[in-house]
Amino acid sequence: MSALVDVGLIDDVKRFGAADVSACFSCGQCTAMCPLSSNDGTFPRRLIRYAQVGMKDALLSSKELWTCFYCGECSDTCPTQADPGGFMAAARRYAIASYDKTRLAKTMYTKPVLGTLIALVLAAFFALFMYREHGPQHASALKLFDFIPEPLIHYTGVAVMALVGLAGLAGILSAARSIAKKEGLSLGSVVGRGAGKAWWSALWTESLGQKRYRSDCQTAQEASPWYRKRWLIHAMTMWGFLGLFAATIIDYGLALIHVKPTGAEVPIWYPVRLLGTLAGLALIYGTTMLIVDRLRKANRSASDSTFADWLLLTLLWITGVTGFGIELALYLPHAPAWGYWVFLVHVSIAMELMLLLPFTKFAHAIYRPVALFFVARGKEKEAGPG
Amino acid sequence: MSERRIGVYVCHCGGNISDYVDVERVVGTVQGAPGVVVAKHTMFACSDATQQEMAADIKEQKLDGLVVASCSPKLHTTTFRGVAKRAGLNPYTYNQVNIREQCSWAHTDNHEGATLKATGLVKAGIARSRLSVPLEPMVVQTTQKAMVVGAGIAGLRAAIGLADVGLQVFLVEREKKLGGWVGQFGAMYARNRKGTDLIAALVAEIQKRPAITVYTNAELVAKSGSFGNYVATVRLDETPAKELQVDVGSIVVATGFDTYQPEPGEFGFGTDGVVTLPEFKAMIDASPGPLTYRGKRVKTIAYIYCVGSRQPSGHEYCSRFCCAATAHASLRVAELGRAGARPPPEPGVHQYHLYRDIRTYGKFELMYTDSRESGAVYMKFADDAPPVVALGDDGKLKVTTRDTLTGGEELTIPADLVVLVTGMVPRKNNELMTLLKVPVGTDGFFNEIHPKLRPVETVVDGVLIAGACQGPKSASESVASGLAAVTQSAAILKKGFAELDPLVATVNASACTWCGKCVEVCPYSAIAKVAADGREVAEISASTCKGCGGCAPACPENAIDLKGYTDAQIRAAIDGMLEEKAA
Repeated sequence: MSALVDVGLIDDVKRFGAADVSACFSCGQCTAMCPLSSNDGTFPRRLIRYAQVGMKDALLSSKELWTCFYCGECSDTCPTQADPGGFMAAARRYAIASYDKTRLAKTMYTKPVLGTLIALVLAAFFALFMYREHGPQHASALKLFDFIPEPLIHYTGVAVMALVGLAGLAGILSAARSIAKKEGLSLGSVVGRGAGKAWWSALWTESLGQKRYRSDCQTAQEASPWYRKRWLIHAMTMWGFLGLFAATIIDYGLALIHVKPTGAEVPIWYPVRLLGTLAGLALIYGTTMLIVDRLRKANRSASDSTFADWLLLTLLWITGVTGFGIELALYLPHAPAWGYWVFLVHVSIAMELMLLLPFTKFAHAIYRPVALFFVARGKEKEAGPG
Repeated sequence: MSERRIGVYVCHCGGNISDYVDVERVVGTVQGAPGVVVAKHTMFACSDATQQEMAADIKEQKLDGLVVASCSPKLHTTTFRGVAKRAGLNPYTYNQVNIREQCSWAHTDNHEGATLKATGLVKAGIARSRLSVPLEPMVVQTTQKAMVVGAGIAGLRAAIGLADVGLQVFLVEREKKLGGWVGQFGAMYARNRKGTDLIAALVAEIQKRPAITVYTNAELVAKSGSFGNYVATVRLDETPAKELQVDVGSIVVATGFDTYQPEPGEFGFGTDGVVTLPEFKAMIDASPGPLTYRGKRVKTIAYIYCVGSRQPSGHEYCSRFCCAATAHASLRVAELGRAGARPPPEPGVHQYHLYRDIRTYGKFELMYTDSRESGAVYMKFADDAPPVVALGDDGKLKVTTRDTLTGGEELTIPADLVVLVTGMVPRKNNELMTLLKVPVGTDGFFNEIHPKLRPVETVVDGVLIAGACQGPKSASESVASGLAAVTQSAAILKKGFAELDPLVATVNASACTWCGKCVEVCPYSAIAKVAADGREVAEISASTCKGCGGCAPACPENAIDLKGYTDAQIRAAIDGMLEEKAA
C-alpha cells in the first residue's frame, strides 16, 4: 500500500522548532551516537527522514519520539548542525498538537502571544470565579475555606479533572492506536495478557524511576554535581508534583472519612502534611533549577526555550511556591492577610495547570508513558518465548 | 646488401621479464648472428645509464640499426628513437620488440617456452632491422587560417582565441543566430550569469576582430586537401544557394549536442505537467515571480533524474551537467517561490528530487547542499525500481517511488509538475561525420585521440574537436576545450610548417593497375587517381595517409608498401621468428 506523502509536513513540524533540520542528509551519526537508540527502535535519523519526506503517519506513530530525553549529544556531534535533538523536541510538540483534536495545543505551542493571553485570561477567570463566592478573611487565624468555600474548590476541581480526563483520554487513545498499529499490535494489547509487566516498566521503572534517563543519558550530565543532574532535577519536579497531588487527594479523603477535617491544624510530622511539605520543597527545587538552567542555557535541552517551556515551568513554579507559602502562612503565629491572596492564586493556577495538561508541554506526562509501554512491549516480544 | 651493424639490447625490466625469460640465454643465441655487432642484456633498458651506454655503442661501433627487446612499443618507442637520434642514428632504423606484455607476462607458467618465444621475437626484430632504411619526417607548409564549425559558446570562444593568436578565422554557423544552446539560457550555474549575456559578450568580442569572418545559415559541406592545407567548402543558405571555398590549416569542430527527447509515456512524458529539463529551464527563465504552470501556482515539483541517461539499452553514459543544472534550477525555483510566500519557515515550493546517484562534482556539491538546505528532499531510487508517474483520479500527477532512507516503503508524491531530468545526446550529423572522417565512439560523440594527453585532437591531423560534440560538457568545460583547440591549432600552424611521421604507404606506380580497391579501404581519403606515363595509377598523399596499412593487403598487385613495415621486412621477420623452434 502506497502512502500518500504530506508535502507540507516538514513545514508543519518547523512551526514547533527544528529550524535547521533541512540540513540533515541522513548520515546517521546521530543514531550512532545516541545512547538510547537501539536496534528495535532507531532514532533520530529515521524520524527526521520521515518528517523531510512527508511521512506523517509514520512520524506520529513512532514510539521512538518519546524514548528520547534530549541529552543533546546528537546535536553536538551532528556534522551538518541540523540539531537532531532539537528536532526530536519539536516533533514531540508537533505530536502533542496532533494527538489533540481540539487544536488548542497547536495554538498554545505556535502562537506565543495568543497563548500568553489564554493563560492569563484563564488564570483570571479561575481567580474571579472563586473570588465571586468569597467569604470573610479572619484575622485571628487563617480560615482559608471561610474565604473561598471548600465545596466551590472541590466541584470546580472535579469539573476540571473531568474535562482533563476526557481530553487526555482522547489524546492517549489517538497516540496509542497509531503506535499500536505501527508496532503490529492491537489496541487491546494495552490491557491484554502481559501488559502488566510492560506497564510496570513504563510507569514505575522508567517514568517514576527514570532508569534509562538516569543511567543511559549520562553524557551531558557527567560534569554536574549530583544535585544538578538533569534527571534528578526533572525527577524532583515530577515527584514533587505527584506528591502534592497525592497530598491534596489524601487530605480530601481524610475529610471524607471524617479522620481530619480539611484545613484542620495538624503537627508538622502528620503524614499528609509531611508529604505535602516535602513534595512542595521538591517541586520548588526542581522547577527553580529548571528555570535557572534555562536562563543560563546550562545544557543543550535548556538552550532553546519556547513559550511552551516557560508556560509549564511558570505554572508549576507558582503552584509550588504558593502552596508552600500557604503552608508557611498557616503555621505563622499571626495569620498574615497575604495568606488569603496566596491561597487564591494557588488554587487558580493549580486549576489552570491541570486544565491545560493535555494542551501544553505537560502532555508529555501522559504520552511518554504510553510510548514507553510499547517500547517495553516490543522488548518482551523480542525476548519472549517461542 | 652490405653487412649491417645492429645493436641488440634485451631488458630484464627488473624481473618483470627476467623472472620468466632467461634473458642471458636469449642474448647468447643472437650473439654473432648476421649483422649483430652488439648484443647485451640490461636491468632497465629505459634507465639513463643504459640509454647513455646505447648511445656510446652506436657511436663507437658505428651501428646502423638498433633493436631493444623490452616492453610495449606504446611505452618506449619514442624513448629509444630519441636515443638513436641523439647518437646520430636515423630514428626510423630503431625497432622495438615486445617481450613483456606479449611474452613474459603472458607465459608466467612456462619459463622454457617464454624464453624460446622471446628469442624468436628478438630474431624477428633483428631480421626486420636488417632491411630497415633511414627515413625522414615529411615537412609540409601550413596555412595560417583556421575554421570553426559551430558558433555555440565553445566555438565562439575558440574563434576569439584563434584570432588572438594571429590566425585568420572563418566561423561557420548553421543557424541564423550565433550562440547555440547557451544563447537561449537565462541564469546558469554556478554563478547565475545569464547565458544570453555570456553570448552577447562573446559576440561583441567577435565583432571587434576583423580577422574573424562569420558565416551564419552556413554549413561545411566538403573538405579536401591535407593536413595544414585544407580546402573547405561552405554552403550558404541563400537564394540562390551559394558555395564558397576557403583555405584553412586547421578545423575546429564545435557542433554541440542535442537534448534527449523522452519516448511518449516514458515517465509519463506526454501527460500535461510532465516536462523535460530544458523546457523547465525555459519556464524558470520566463517566470517573473513564483513559478506557474498553465496559470496555476506550482507548489510541488517532482524531479526524476537520469531520464535517458545511464541506460543499458540506449545512452549508457552520464551526462554530467544535469545533476548540477537541476540542483541550480531547484534553488532558483525556491527563490522565486520565496518571493511570494509567507515568511520562513514556509519554503513556498516543495521539491522532491528522485535520483539514482547525485553527481554534483567539484564545487557544484555546494549547490546541492544549498538546495537540500533550502528544503528540497533528495530521494534515491534503485536502478531496477524507477519511479512511476501516473495521472490520479483527482487530475493531479502522482509519482510513486520508494525511499531508500526510510526503509523502502512505497510513497506517492502528489506533484503539480514532474520534471524529467534529460541529458545530452549526440547531434545527428551524418554528413559532417562523413566529410570530416572523424571517428565517433559507441556513444555517438566525436572521439579524441587520447582522453588525457590529446583531448582535443582527432586521428585526422588538423581537425580538432571542442565542446559538447565530444561528449557531455558544462559550458565552462566546453569553453576550456575550445581554448585547448586554439592552442593545438597554434601549435600546428604557427611554426608555418609541420613535420609528419614518414611511416606511410607508397605506391609502386609501375605495378599499379588502378583497380581502385585501395581507395575503397582507405579510411582517410588519402588515395587519388593520377596519370603517370600515360597510365592511370593510384597516388597516396603522404600528408593525409596515417600509415594504418589497410591498403597494402587490399592491393591485388602488391603494388603498395608501408614504409617501416614493407612486405620484405614482414617476411624476414616471420622467417626470423620461425628459426627458433621448440626442442
